Amino acid sequence: MLETIVQAVINGLLIGGIYALVSIGVTLIFGVVKIVNFAQGEFVMIGMYISFYLATQFGIDPILSLFVSMPVLFVIGVLVQHFLIRRVLGPNDMPQIFLTFALSLLLLNLSLMLFTANYRTVHTSYSDEALHLGGLYIPVAKLIAFVVAMALSGALWVFLHTTDLGKAMRAAAQNRDVATLMGINPNRVFAVAFGAALALAGAAGSLLMPFYSAYPFVGQVFVLMAFVAVVLGTLGNVIGALVASLMMGVAESLGIQFVGADSGLIVVFAMLLLTLAFKPNGLGGGRVR
Amino acid sequence: MMTAAGKWKAVTLALVVVVVLLLPQVVKSSFAIDIFIRILLFSFIGVAWNLMGGYAKQLSLGHAAYFGLGAYTSTIMQIDFGISPWIGMIAGGIVAMLASLPIGWLCFRLRGPYFTIATIATAQALMLIFLKFRDLAWGAEGTTIPNLGSSPLMMQFETKASYYYVVLGLLALGLFITHRIEQSWMGYYLVAIGEDEDAAEAIGVNAPRIKRDIYMLSAFLTALAGTFYVQYIYFIDPATAFSFNISIEAALVSIVGGIGTLWGPVIGTVLLETTSALLQSWLGSTTGGIQLTVYALILMAVILWRPTGLMGLVTDAYQRHRHRKPARA
Repeated sequence: MLETIVQAVINGLLIGGIYALVSIGVTLIFGVVKIVNFAQGEFVMIGMYISFYLATQFGIDPILSLFVSMPVLFVIGVLVQHFLIRRVLGPNDMPQIFLTFALSLLLLNLSLMLFTANYRTVHTSYSDEALHLGGLYIPVAKLIAFVVAMALSGALWVFLHTTDLGKAMRAAAQNRDVATLMGINPNRVFAVAFGAALALAGAAGSLLMPFYSAYPFVGQVFVLMAFVAVVLGTLGNVIGALVASLMMGVAESLGIQFVGADSGLIVVFAMLLLTLAFKPNGLGGGRVR
Repeated sequence: MMTAAGKWKAVTLALVVVVVLLLPQVVKSSFAIDIFIRILLFSFIGVAWNLMGGYAKQLSLGHAAYFGLGAYTSTIMQIDFGISPWIGMIAGGIVAMLASLPIGWLCFRLRGPYFTIATIATAQALMLIFLKFRDLAWGAEGTTIPNLGSSPLMMQFETKASYYYVVLGLLALGLFITHRIEQSWMGYYLVAIGEDEDAAEAIGVNAPRIKRDIYMLSAFLTALAGTFYVQYIYFIDPATAFSFNISIEAALVSIVGGIGTLWGPVIGTVLLETTSALLQSWLGSTTGGIQLTVYALILMAVILWRPTGLMGLVTDAYQRHRHRKPARA
């Protein structure tokens, strides 16, 4: 029994690492640019298709293709921020919500037309490998994904806290007007934040590819999880999003283990509703919005 | 005394009413009437959404919850108890109203984009409940609604034209309610909340109560559409009744047509559904994704260049036209 629980917790933590990459992206954009990116999941999907085609056409390992998917998505992020998001920044919610929502709808349905609804998988040499620790079972592909995800999250944290650009981003997040007065160029900061968030989504896509199928709707699974984690972890808080994502992964995994295979989403919604009912400001407190 | 502009409005409205009433008598193609019914239905759903999403700017993407509750309430009452869907329709509306209370209590704790996300989650959670609890209502495979032939008392008709008039009646009801609200204090309160909720509260608008009330009304009307829809297609399952596309289309037609305006949702639906029908006849229904791709592009174009929607375009043109005329002494 104890072993089953520990195994479920490990499974949850491993997938929670991927959720963390997506939620950190969402919370970074929310914190700095002050908008919610409904299309974040679709960028995970794009990352997956990039890795899928690099693997099947050129035989590049999906995890190594992270070095392609991350820069590509960074550039896409800068372009999206520059040509779309920048035009709707302001006090009005409607254009912001529905612009990124339209973007999500567009990417989803374009990929449905381009790639069809088929599930695409990549089989790597380590896809079926697993470590056995006592009675515990740790799939290698998921372990690598988790470790890389944690390393990238850590790298982002270091970037935000030690570099000038990172500090400028945190300053802009705290108070955009004062930061602008201090000589920070908000458009540059927003572009980097958007690019970095999308690069993380792209990394999540590449890391998923050795053990998860790519299909046009795949991003929806992750973005929903990320939204819940971001509320739970207090909006705009990177560490909060990370911790909440790992918790969500564990909760989902325990739900699958003890309630039933299709109960993962129910657990997620239950957690969201409970959070809204009792901790609408997130576990860390702080202000909504 | 009517102003000249008022007279023109009245004449235009009368013309539209006559055309809309005669349409199914003139056009006999069942393909065309099917498209008209879709236009009227989604206009009505848009009108219901617009009350809350348009005027009060509470941007819900979870109205499928009420569409589905309306559909399931009337279907369960009809199949399990033999009660007419006309009664079931009202019952569904009441169920939706009651459901909107706890859902609103949860979702209104958040504002802006996070309100939107919470509404998505509640609608999805309801769909999961209907998928998972088979004893409640047929689970994932759903059920067909028994065809009784021509039975107007059970909301079943021989001709598509009859369905057309039913949904036309619903739309007229929705527009009438919106028009009355627009001209009442409630309308001003809603717009005030939509502009700036904190400021509205500061001048004494009881925002939580107003939002609760308009959410109940919006949910009630959306549920009526749900009942009509499943009666029209003779089939119900959770994926149809709680389809996310319903939530999307409700918001989309209002935004494209003109958010927070009486006729916006109607104009938006005419544009989007006509585009969709044309695309289907040109490309066939084989190309999955094309319809929503085009919808997404239209939505982006409207948001970037014309946030007031098509109604804004019309109003601007009218204003320019008026200003060009010399002022009368």
